[in-house]
Amino acid sequence: MKQLIARRLLQTIPLLFFVSIVCFAMIKAAPGDPVLSFVTPNMHAEDIERIRHNLGLDKPAYVQYWLWLKEVVQGNLGYSLVNHQPVLDQIIERLPATAGLMGSAIGLAVLIAIPLGLTAGANRNRWADKLINFISYVGISIPVFWLGIIVIYLFAIKLHWLPSMGMRTIGVNSTLDIIKHAILPVSVLAFSFLAVYVRYIRSSTIGQLKEEYVQIQYAFGSNKKTILFRHVMKHVLLPIITLLGMSMGELVAGAIVTETVFSWPGIGSLGMTAVKGMDYPLIMGITLFSAVLLILGNLAADILYSFADPRIKSTR
Amino acid sequence: MRKTLSILLSVILMTVVLSACTSNNAGTPSNGGQATNAPEGQGQPKEGGSLIIGVASDPVILNPNYAGDRVSLTIDQALFAPLFQVNNGKKTFYLAESLEPSADNLTYTLKLKSGLTWHDGEKLTADDVVFTIEKILDESQNSLLRENFIVDGKPVQVVKVDETTVEFKLPQVSPAFEATLVQVYPIPKHIFENEANIEKSEKNRAPIGSGPFKYKEYKTGEYLTVERFDNYFGGKPYLDSITYRIAKDTNTANLALQNGEINVKYVDPQDVATIEATNKFQILPYSEGRLAYLNFNQNSDTGLMSKFEVRQAISHALNRDELILGTYLSADYADAAHSFVTPDGLFHTNDVTSYEYDVEKAKELIKAAGAENAKIRFITQSGNKSQEAVGLYVQQHLKEIGLNVELSSMDSSAYVQKLIDPNTTDYEILLGGYIMGYDPDAYSILFTSNGNSNYSHVKNAEADALFQAGAAEADEAKRAEIYKQLQEIIAKEAVIYPVAYTKTIVAVDNKYGGIEEAVLKPVVIFEDLSKIYVK
Repeated sequence: MKQLIARRLLQTIPLLFFVSIVCFAMIKAAPGDPVLSFVTPNMHAEDIERIRHNLGLDKPAYVQYWLWLKEVVQGNLGYSLVNHQPVLDQIIERLPATAGLMGSAIGLAVLIAIPLGLTAGANRNRWADKLINFISYVGISIPVFWLGIIVIYLFAIKLHWLPSMGMRTIGVNSTLDIIKHAILPVSVLAFSFLAVYVRYIRSSTIGQLKEEYVQIQYAFGSNKKTILFRHVMKHVLLPIITLLGMSMGELVAGAIVTETVFSWPGIGSLGMTAVKGMDYPLIMGITLFSAVLLILGNLAADILYSFADPRIKSTR
Repeated sequence: MRKTLSILLSVILMTVVLSACTSNNAGTPSNGGQATNAPEGQGQPKEGGSLIIGVASDPVILNPNYAGDRVSLTIDQALFAPLFQVNNGKKTFYLAESLEPSADNLTYTLKLKSGLTWHDGEKLTADDVVFTIEKILDESQNSLLRENFIVDGKPVQVVKVDETTVEFKLPQVSPAFEATLVQVYPIPKHIFENEANIEKSEKNRAPIGSGPFKYKEYKTGEYLTVERFDNYFGGKPYLDSITYRIAKDTNTANLALQNGEINVKYVDPQDVATIEATNKFQILPYSEGRLAYLNFNQNSDTGLMSKFEVRQAISHALNRDELILGTYLSADYADAAHSFVTPDGLFHTNDVTSYEYDVEKAKELIKAAGAENAKIRFITQSGNKSQEAVGLYVQQHLKEIGLNVELSSMDSSAYVQKLIDPNTTDYEILLGGYIMGYDPDAYSILFTSNGNSNYSHVKNAEADALFQAGAAEADEAKRAEIYKQLQEIIAKEAVIYPVAYTKTIVAVDNKYGGIEEAVLKPVVIFEDLSKIYVK
């Protein structure tokens, strides 16, 4: 097991290197120039060059990349070109908001998807299956920005049940207040995630129902519900671990649209600002950070999986 | 397993229950929906209360020497006090008490009010003003304001005379220098004197200023709160606090405005009707001193735009009033523009040559220029409805005179790069906008051959000479004459096609008073926030 973990961790190093090079190259290829955010119309060309020099942007691209890499290896993600704050601090500052939002949304989606997926799988091609499929496709098809506005209009403006945006009431610092603010964005996001999980659980339920142990249970006279929710569910839940591991990247990358619509102060909206301002250190930092978590998430999923299902261990 | 399921269910139910409880306290503290139309006590300033201003993004840097974005400038207006401001040619003094030019107009003596203090209680003196200007001039400090203090290629000198008096020595007569001082909001010397790099200083995260409100709290991505500064030289502000709430999505922010979670916010003409229908807001359109215009790139590789006939023909092909109505929905939100100087500017006149709507004439001119069926590459900025509307209008109308417009809509960074790169030759027209301030000398960078922002690439020796003369002319009447001539030359040459002097629209919750005294101000919304009160 230790060997497996060590090998997998070693494999991540070239992967991260590759991710960072691709990311850097794409930023460099994009139109726009970060120096422009410091330029005022009455500056001379020499002033613009001076600013470019002060920011280190007059060096060739490979030198800039090398300088960046040297710092990253030492754990320094650099400073934002726009507001000059350390990139890592900014990411960490925003991390709880994003992790909380995405974690709750993914959790809620899974919780709803389990009974729905099991029911759909057990009633394949019957009306319950079709209805559940319909609901989850509606969820994946409705644009989040539109649904977001609709629920804000309904629950904040018309019913006055919930605040329309933000993560806190101004000056209030309580968990309950944050939960109140989180309900709308979490629900909207969870609804959009639902389809993926429902489809996944439905198809593995269908597979499981063909297994011998199910037939034996039937032979013993267990009723369908018991079989489904006691025995089949156990097997169906296992692959969800992998699915959750794969969501780790999203967990930190955040949901740009949802965070923007609800003015949620997470990494998604930070990333949006970074891209608009051509703030490469920040863009690189966010990309690298979510790549690391995605890789670690997958690794964690694999390890958990081998604990949950000992058959896996022998095959690796 | 049954137990697990019941836990799952209860978690799901919890969400529902939670949302139900919250319905009890629907009127959260910030919700002021109920009593807005109450007539009692109107106009009577009263102390206390708070104001929430909606802003579109986080501030970049809360230091007036560096603030260049709208949000930072808006928040700085509460935190830092200017020396003085100018509205319609009249000075309002803030930190300063007076500003006197010498007889030869080469020295300006600025006198500060006495007893001024910073938010932390330290004295604000001539040293702070001198320090601020020195740091602006220091090349290694990257201040955005530096160029303004270079007159005729040489820096302005600043000298402390006594505790409350500062002298500015100019290398050449420059009537525009007052407009430069308007932009100065002193920063505290005792905070920054030992900082090697002020732009990157940690001290900017909890700024100490001299404005009516002092910094209290900043939650990144959420809001920034400032609270009343009791020792404000202009008198204790009425409000206890002001919060700048970051709302990135315009639609959501509009809903939050209607819900009382935001009290003051910019609104687009398209949204005015909805907001107005609630009867909870004053809708205040005001001039930002901004011109929306078509920039003709005389450097384009087809050479089309360097032909006067083509520029003139394009001007004749467009119906300005129709264009304004289609784009800004009402003449209340934009005034027809003919001159490059905006109406708030000194010596502005709209009485200049204007090539009015005349399709036949336009067709003839195009024929004369041999530009039939030519391709026109037209750049607009994406994500802005008004800009896209202008693009489509121009495309349609130029087609009538036989020009094929190829529209391309670019995101802001690509757009700005196209605009300011002096070597861009791959477009003919760009839809732009500018706010240049009230002194017309500011326009020299746009319309002189060697101007730093000569986006049109215009080369007109007469205009160059006039701009140079105007910058150094101390006699008001002569200066007026120079800039009148200039406005005529640029208009006659059709260097640009001025579309409209656009207005900004702000919605203010009815429960606030003192809006008139606070003075609506371009970019920063209110000039003096200390005057606003809850009715």
